[in-house]
Order: sequence, then C-alpha cells, then structure tokens
Amino acid sequence: MSQGHHGLEEFHWLIEVMQTVDVGVLVLDLEYRVTAWNGFIENNSGIDSSDAMGKSLFDVFPDLSVEWFKHKGDTVVQLRNRAFTTWEQRPFVFKFRNNRPITGVTEYMYQNCTFIPVIGTTGSVQNLAVIVYDVTDIAASKLELKAANERLAQLSRTDGLTKLFNRGYWETLFETEFMRQQRHVRDMCLIMFDIDHFKKVNDTYGHQAGDDVIRAVAEAVRSNSRATDVAGRYGGEEFAILLLDSDLDNTYALAERLRASIANTVVKTEAGDLQVTVSLGVAPWSASFAHHGQWIEAADQALYHSKQAGRNQTSVAST
Amino acid sequence: MAFTQAKGRILTDEVLDEELRDCFQELSNVAVGRAADLLARLLNNFVIMPIPVVNLLERSELSMALSSVQDAQSVSAVCQGFTGSKIAGEALLIFNDASFTDMAELTHFKGEITEQIELELLMDIANILIGACLKGLAEQIDVSFSQGQPYLLGQHINIDELLNKNGASWKRLLTIELPYRLEGRAVNCDLLLLFTEDSLNVLRDKVSYLLE
Amino acid sequence: MSLPLLIVDDSSFARKQVIRALPKEWEVEVSQAGNGEEAIALIEQGKGEVVLLDLTMPVMDGFAVLEEIRAKDLPAIVIVISGDIQPEAEARVMKLGAVAFIKKPLEPAVLSQVLRDFGIYSG
Repeated sequence: MSQGHHGLEEFHWLIEVMQTVDVGVLVLDLEYRVTAWNGFIENNSGIDSSDAMGKSLFDVFPDLSVEWFKHKGDTVVQLRNRAFTTWEQRPFVFKFRNNRPITGVTEYMYQNCTFIPVIGTTGSVQNLAVIVYDVTDIAASKLELKAANERLAQLSRTDGLTKLFNRGYWETLFETEFMRQQRHVRDMCLIMFDIDHFKKVNDTYGHQAGDDVIRAVAEAVRSNSRATDVAGRYGGEEFAILLLDSDLDNTYALAERLRASIANTVVKTEAGDLQVTVSLGVAPWSASFAHHGQWIEAADQALYHSKQAGRNQTSVAST
Repeated sequence: MAFTQAKGRILTDEVLDEELRDCFQELSNVAVGRAADLLARLLNNFVIMPIPVVNLLERSELSMALSSVQDAQSVSAVCQGFTGSKIAGEALLIFNDASFTDMAELTHFKGEITEQIELELLMDIANILIGACLKGLAEQIDVSFSQGQPYLLGQHINIDELLNKNGASWKRLLTIELPYRLEGRAVNCDLLLLFTEDSLNVLRDKVSYLLE
Repeated sequence: MSLPLLIVDDSSFARKQVIRALPKEWEVEVSQAGNGEEAIALIEQGKGEVVLLDLTMPVMDGFAVLEEIRAKDLPAIVIVISGDIQPEAEARVMKLGAVAFIKKPLEPAVLSQVLRDFGIYSG
C-alpha cells in the first residue's frame, strides 16, 4: 500500500468516525460562518448540511443568543484559550428537541459545550470549533434532586396549617433584614397581631373550628399584603408581618385594612359560622434597637396596648 | 519564606522534598503568570500575582489550602478534571461571592446581578484561569492535558459545605494553591490544582531533567 | 576584575535556571538573594552592580526593590526576569527604572542578547 493511499484511507475513517460520533462537532470561521459540522448536528437540527455550509451560524440557528455566543467565541479566539459552558448556565446553546418519546423528560436537549480555538498552519487562530454534548440525563436527574430538596426545605420553612412561614424561619428572615438595616437604612415596619379571645373559640367550638379560624386569618394576611412582605405564624394565634420599604403611614393603613377585613370575614366551620377580631401592634424600625428582639418587643407592647384599650384595633409603638 | 509562615506548617514528608516543592512552585509561578496576563486582558485590570503555595496535604487538611477565601461568608465553586501523560487531577476554582459586584462592573455588566449572571462570570473566570494555568504547567514539563467538562459544585455555599460535600476516596494530594486578587478591586478567588498521589511520581520524573 | 552580579528570586530552582542561562565566558561574581530585603542588603554591600530580579516574591517583591533602589539611589542596573507577564507589569518596572524585562521561562539566548544590548556583556 502506498503512502498516499494509506493517508487517504486514514482520512476516510477519520471522517467516518467524526460523522458518527455521538457528540456534536461544529467548525466555524472567524466570521461565524459554518465551515463544517458532523452528523450529530445535522440529525439533531434537522438541517441539511448543504443548506448550512458557508452561511452565518446565526442565520442557520435563529434561536441562538448572538451576543452570548459571540462573547464566548471572541474571548476564545482572542485569548487562544478554550472555554467550557455548562447546561446550568443555559440549558441549551442549540435548540435541539429532545426526541426520545419514552425516556425523554425534557422538551429540549440539555447541553454542555466546549469552544476550542483552532490554530492554523500559520500559527494564528483560524477557526472556532464547538463541541456539543448531550447531558439531558444528567441535567434531568440533577434538577429532579434539586426540586426534591427544595420541597424539603419548603416543608421545613412553612407552617403546615397556615402555609405562612413558621416561627423559626420567619425569625431567620427577620434577623437578616434587621442586620441589613444596620448597613443600609430603609423604611421598615413590623406588625404583630393576635386573634381576640381565641381560647374561647377553641373551648366553645372545638380545635377543628379553631384551626379553621386560624386558616381564615392567614388567608386574610395573604390577600392584604404585598409579595415583599414577610408574614409568619409567630405562635398559636399570633402572627407577625415584616414590611420592607413601607413607612409608618402605609403600614398603619395596611394593619387597619387587615383588621377590618378579618372582622368582616365569616368563617364557615363545622360548628357553624364564626366571626373573630384581631388586635394589632405596629412598630417602625428605630436606630435605637440594638437587637432585633427589641423591635419585636416594641410591636408586642403596642399589641398589648390594643388589647387593653378594648381589642379589635391597631396601636403604634411609642418611640 | 512566606508560604511556610502563612501555613504555619512545613512539610517534612520525604515524598515532597524542598527541592521538588520549590521546583513545582516556580513552574506554577510561570503558569499563573500566563493566566494572570489573560485575565488582565479580559478585565482590563491589573492582576496581583499570587505566590503559589505547594503542599502535600491530607484530605482533612484541605481547608488550609484555601487561605484567601477562608473568611468568605459564602462562595461559589467550579471544578474541572484534567488528565494526560499519566498525570491526573482536578482544578477547583473557589470564588468569594462578595467579588461579584466588582466583577460585574469590570465586565461592564449593567443591571441586577442574578445568580445566572454570577454563573456566567464564574465560568468565564474559570475557563481562563484553569485553562491557562494547566496549559502553562503542561508546556513546561512537555506534556498536554485534556480537560473534562467543568462541574458546578455550588453557588452561595460556605467553605465547609463545599469540602464536606465532596467526599472522595483519596488520602493525600499534591496541592497548588493560587490565590488571585485584582488590584484596587474587592475580587478574590482561589484556584486550587490538586494532583493525585500517583501523579506525583510521574511529575517527579518529568521535572527531574530540570533539576539536574 | 569580575562583575558583581546579583540574582534575586524566591525560588532556588529559578535562581539555578538563571545561573545556567548566563553566558559561559562571562566573568561574574554571582550572589543570590531569596527576597527583596536580602537583595537590597547585598546591593548596598556592592554585590549587585547588575541585578537579575524576579517580581513575585514574599517579604518584599520586585516592584518594591526597584522603588528602594531609586529611593536610596543605589548603583544597580536592574533586569527584570518575571513570570508576571502582564503588559502593565512590564510598564511599571520600566517606569521604576529597570532597563529590561524578560519573560519566564528564561531563554539563555534572550538573556545574552539583552546583556549585549546594554553593553553589560560583550561575548
């Protein structure tokens, strides 16, 4: 066998392997025009090679993020250094459908990519190669695991009855915001409130009815507060709401709205229709609080004042 | 010298004698210089060259090799395996989360820095530092490494979490710690190159001609 | 009389590489320092008319050495041999009075050429 023939044969099987290998190989020129690609890209994109060669990659794949892709590519060419991207950055670079009807759990193929500067015979970078790996299986199982963990975390953060934050987690958030306030002061207010004569509800109508009342109050909290408010069940019938970026006037208005809304709510229970009222205490943040506990105490004092003054009302902490 | 003072620990193990350690340190110095050059060009900001810290560490001692991010409240980390010429290991880039504000500014990113943006920045830095360091090292000892796909170890985790999460079977590793900082910026990250114990013998052979 | 040459690098391996790269017939009296402080002391003793200086070093780095030489007006010709190859690093040392900047890993031919260029060695 002659040397030339041997070289040709080698070239042939090299191309054959490249064409069948189960990763995507894409070669571009420095203007991002498609110079070559393999069977993986052709089969997954459904685009005929002859329709792509010499064309701009961004015309061939209109879904591609031009800015992102060029940033990666330009850096690789300029610094002559490979770059890797993971599916965590963006699930896919090329929008290939995940075509497995039975085992497929995602709509698109998750991908990791490697950007490689191809040095030409002159010693300068002449092409950019992109290798595309199908990592759908890995990504799907990692995402599943993450979702399961999040559910677990969610469970440990929320109160089962009200679906508001439980006391432990609410206090963690409260403390974090309090610390942040030390560095960067914003308008912040705290509302503490509890259900008037709740023990009587429990004793007269039973715990089941008591739970229904608590749920209804929690619902009123949800429908009267903003997404940024941090609401938690602080004790048996006691609730706490931390309002970020809300001054005293706003907070007072919200507290009154909440009070009226609860007073007007008819709670349907197995023991019959019930109506309850709440007493509230509002405390704006003050620089004099050395510890977050002092803030809670101030709101509690105001709450106590509401109780003393006849319940079903809102009081503001004296500063 | 500073590396022993900083660690409060001098390696007396016969496996890594002073001459070899010094040699690895110098090879690393040249490699990190190239990486620093690329990083400086990407960010248009002077990079303060780290003095490489070379150690042979037990697994339990790994946290000692993370001096520059030790005090970080939370970190994000990427690792990437590499192998070639019977030398194998893993590169670990640990980024102090406090660095992202300045990093975003340097890359002219405007807008809210989401976790997604942080990941992009982290990967950009990882690609440059890991790629250039490995290439720099490999060229000097006349080998070449293939790099595996990078793996995101976590975002916003603490160092202990990071180290405990990744329990492996190895006992001792050759570690090269490269604490990078940017001049005038609150950016710091630690690049850690970890070589398996088996690689150490190969590395020793590779550098032996340099030591003659 | 041979020329007092000082090689400053925290790595003894790197110093050895520099010594190996010196022109063979060059008559010099070589001293070595492992950091900037030792280097300044040796220069003050007249052991470093020509200094081959590394930049990244503990205790006192190469930038600080150049500043010190300038501040004390010490008679030393400094050639930096550095792993730090950022253009900014080169610009800074040149501004601080170094006569040349050589990138690591050191190539003997490059060193000889620089020495010739500055008339330090005429081989």
